[in-house]
Amino acid sequence: MLTLLKLLRSLIKTLHSDGSPGQIAAGVALGAALGLTPIANAHNALVLLLLAVLNVSFAAGMLAWGLFVPIGFLFDPLFDRLGHWLLVDARSLRGLWTAWDNIPGLALTNFNNTVVLGSVVAWLALFVPIYFLARYGVVRYRATLGERVKRSRFYKALHASQLYNVYSWFRP
Amino acid sequence: MTDGAGRERTRIFRWEGIIPLVLGVAVLAILWLLFGEREIRNTLAEAGTKALGAQLDIGDLDLRVAATTVELRGVALADPFDRNRNLFEIARVVVELEPKPLLEKKIVVKRLNIADVRTGTRRATPATAVTGPGFAPSALAAVQRFTKQFNVPLLSLTPIDTLKSLVLDPSQLKSVQAALALAHDADSVKVALESEYAGLRLQETVDSSAALVARLQGTNIRTLGVEGARRAVADVRRAAARVDSAKRRVEALVTTARRSVDSLQAGIAAIDDARRDDYAFARGLLKLPSFEGPDIGSAIFGKVTIDKFQQAVYWTTLARSYAPPGLLPRETPGPKRLRRAGTTVQFVQPQSAPRFLLRRADVNVAMGSAAGGTYAFAASDVTTEPAITGRPTLFAIRRAARGSVLDSLRVTGMLDHTTARVREVVNAAAAGVTLPSVAIPSLPYTMNPGRGASELRFVLDGEQISGRWAVRSSQLSWQQDPGRARRLNTLESLVARVLTGVNQLELTADVSGTLKAPRLAVKSNLDRQVADRLRAVAGEEIAKAQTKVRAQVDRIVAEKTAPVRAKIDTLRSESERRIAEARTRLDEEKRKLDERLKSLSGGMIGLPRLPGE
Repeated sequence: MLTLLKLLRSLIKTLHSDGSPGQIAAGVALGAALGLTPIANAHNALVLLLLAVLNVSFAAGMLAWGLFVPIGFLFDPLFDRLGHWLLVDARSLRGLWTAWDNIPGLALTNFNNTVVLGSVVAWLALFVPIYFLARYGVVRYRATLGERVKRSRFYKALHASQLYNVYSWFRP
Repeated sequence: MTDGAGRERTRIFRWEGIIPLVLGVAVLAILWLLFGEREIRNTLAEAGTKALGAQLDIGDLDLRVAATTVELRGVALADPFDRNRNLFEIARVVVELEPKPLLEKKIVVKRLNIADVRTGTRRATPATAVTGPGFAPSALAAVQRFTKQFNVPLLSLTPIDTLKSLVLDPSQLKSVQAALALAHDADSVKVALESEYAGLRLQETVDSSAALVARLQGTNIRTLGVEGARRAVADVRRAAARVDSAKRRVEALVTTARRSVDSLQAGIAAIDDARRDDYAFARGLLKLPSFEGPDIGSAIFGKVTIDKFQQAVYWTTLARSYAPPGLLPRETPGPKRLRRAGTTVQFVQPQSAPRFLLRRADVNVAMGSAAGGTYAFAASDVTTEPAITGRPTLFAIRRAARGSVLDSLRVTGMLDHTTARVREVVNAAAAGVTLPSVAIPSLPYTMNPGRGASELRFVLDGEQISGRWAVRSSQLSWQQDPGRARRLNTLESLVARVLTGVNQLELTADVSGTLKAPRLAVKSNLDRQVADRLRAVAGEEIAKAQTKVRAQVDRIVAEKTAPVRAKIDTLRSESERRIAEARTRLDEEKRKLDERLKSLSGGMIGLPRLPGE
C-alpha cells in the first residue's frame, strides 16, 4: 500500500514538475531499463549515470523503474527465449558474441546471459515507443486533468511535504 | 543562453547530477567495505559447494583488490560420499590472479600458496547434501548408477545339511523373461511380415496379368491389325513391368524376413546367455556357498573396491563436465537471483585465455595431522578449456617420510580433454600406509590389514574403464565384532578358522568394461584358501546341490522357451514358403506374358529378363 502511495505521489510530482514532456518521457524510457532488465548489471549503472547527468527527469526514471519491475518479471520467460535465440539459435551472430565475450570490459556486461541480453534488446527496441507513449501521456494529462489535480488538497499537501525538497534536487 | 527566437535553449547535460551519484557510489563503497568480503565468501562457498557436489566451508576471506589476490582461511571440503568426513581442511590458501583476464570474467591463477593441510578429518556437524540441478549432483547420480551395476556376490555360508528344496518362480528367471519378450517380438515380426506380404499386392498383379493373357488368348497380328497389335504389345509390356516390380518387392521382403528371423534367432542365443545368470540366481536362493575364488574375493572385498573406484569415477565425471573438449559455446544455468536466472552461454576463442587456468602450481604443503611431513603437489594446465591450452592437465603428489604414519606416497594423473576422445589416468602408490579395515560379510569378524602397500591405477578412456587396486600387507590381524557376535554354524566356523589363520594379505581387484557395463574381478590369497577348504570339506554335497539347481533351471527354461523356439521355426518356414509361392506365381505369369508377346510378334519380340531370372 505504502509503495503504491509512493508511486502515486511520485507520478503526480513528476507530471506536475517543471520538466517538459520530452524530458519526462526520456526519463521514463531510460528508467524502464532498470525495471525491465535484471538490476545488478553493468548497463544499469550506465543508465543511472545517464539519468543523473542528462537533463531528463530523474524522478520519471525512478518512477519508470518501479512501474516496469513487475512487467520485467512477467516477461522474463519471453526475454529468456529472445536471449536464447540471439545467443544460441542465431548462428550468424555467434562471431559477434564470441568477440564480445572475449573483449576486456565488455565481458562484464553479462550479455552472454539469455535473460540479460533478451531484456536489454527488448528495452532498446521499446525505447522509442516508450518515449513517445510517455510524451503523449504527459501532454494529454497536462491538457486535461493537470489543472484539476493541481487544485486538489492532496496535491497541495504533497507539494508542501519535506520530501518535495529532496525531489526538487533532481527536478529538470 | 537564448536562441534567435528568444526561447531558452535546453541544456543536454546536468553536471550537478553527478554529486548525488558520487554520494551514492560512496555509500556503496562503504557497504562494500563493511559487507563485501563476507558476501564474496558466502557466494564462493555456495558456488564451490554447488560445483563440487560437497559442502565447501570458508572460514575467512581477505580480498586485496590492488594485488588481485585472495586469501582464504579455514577452507574445508566435505567428502561427497561421507557427510561426516572432510576430504581436506586447509588452514590458508593464497591465490594471486592475473588482472587482465579478470576484465573478461576469466580467472588465470598466477601464484598459489597452500599451507597446513589435513585430510580425512571428522566433521563437527554433518555436511549438507547437495541436491538440485548442476554437474555435481548429476555426476553423483551417474556414480550411483555405476556402482549399482556391479553384481557383488554374497558370501553364503549356509550349512549343507539345512539346504532346502528349491521352489523357483519362473517369472523371476531372466531367461524366462527373455523368452516371453522374444515371443512378443516374434508376434510383432509375424504381424509385420503379414502386413508387408499383403502390401506386395500379388493377387492384383496376378489377376491383372491373367486377365490380359485371357483377353489376348487366340489373337494375333492379323486379327488385331497393326495398331491393335501395337497396343496389345504395349499392354503386355506394362503387365510384365508390374510383375517385375512385384518380384522386386518380393525380393526386398526376402531380405526383411531373413533379417527379422535372424534377429529372433539371436534372441534365442540371448536366452541361453541369461540362463547363466539364472543358475547364479537359483544358487543364491539356496544360499549355496561358492567354490570359486573370484566369487569369494568379490564377496569379501567387493564393496571396499567399488568404494575406491567410485571416487575416481566421480571426480573424472566432474572433470569431464567442467573441462569438456572442444570450443563450442557452453550453456550453464545463469546466476541465482530474484528474476529468472536464464542461461549463461560461454563463448570461447582459441586465441583468448580460458575461463579458468592454473598454468602451473608447485606447492609444498606441511601436513598438520598424524600423517605429518611435507607433501609436494604439482599441477599444470588445470583449465576449463583444454582445447585452448592444447595440453592435458597433469598433476602429481609426492611424499617420502619414513617412520611416520605414511612412509611414501606418489600420485600422478593426467586428464586429457584436448581432443574429442577424452582420457583420464590416475596412478597412486602408497607404502607403509595404514590400510582400511574390512568387515567380513556373513561373519562377525573384521579384517585389519595394518600397515602395508596399496597401489591404484585407474584409466577412463572414453567410456572404457580399466582399473586395478592392489594391496599387500604382512601384518594382517582379525578382530571379532562384538556387535555382530553370534553362534556360528559348521561352515561359518570353518571359514572363520581359515580366515583368522591367515596373517598376510595379497589382494588384486580389477575393474574393466564400460561405465554402463562395468565388471569387477577380485583375487586374493584369502579367497583361494577359503575356496580350497570349502571344496575339501563340502565340495561333493555342494556340487550335487548345484547340479540339482541347474537341472531345475534347465527344465523351467526349456518348458518356457520351447513354444518360442517353435514359433520362430514356424515363422521362418512359413515366410520361406509364402515367398517361394509368390516367386513361382510371378514367374508363371511372366512366362505366360512372354508367350503372349512372342505369339503376337511371331516370336520376334520377347520380354527382358530380370537379373537372376
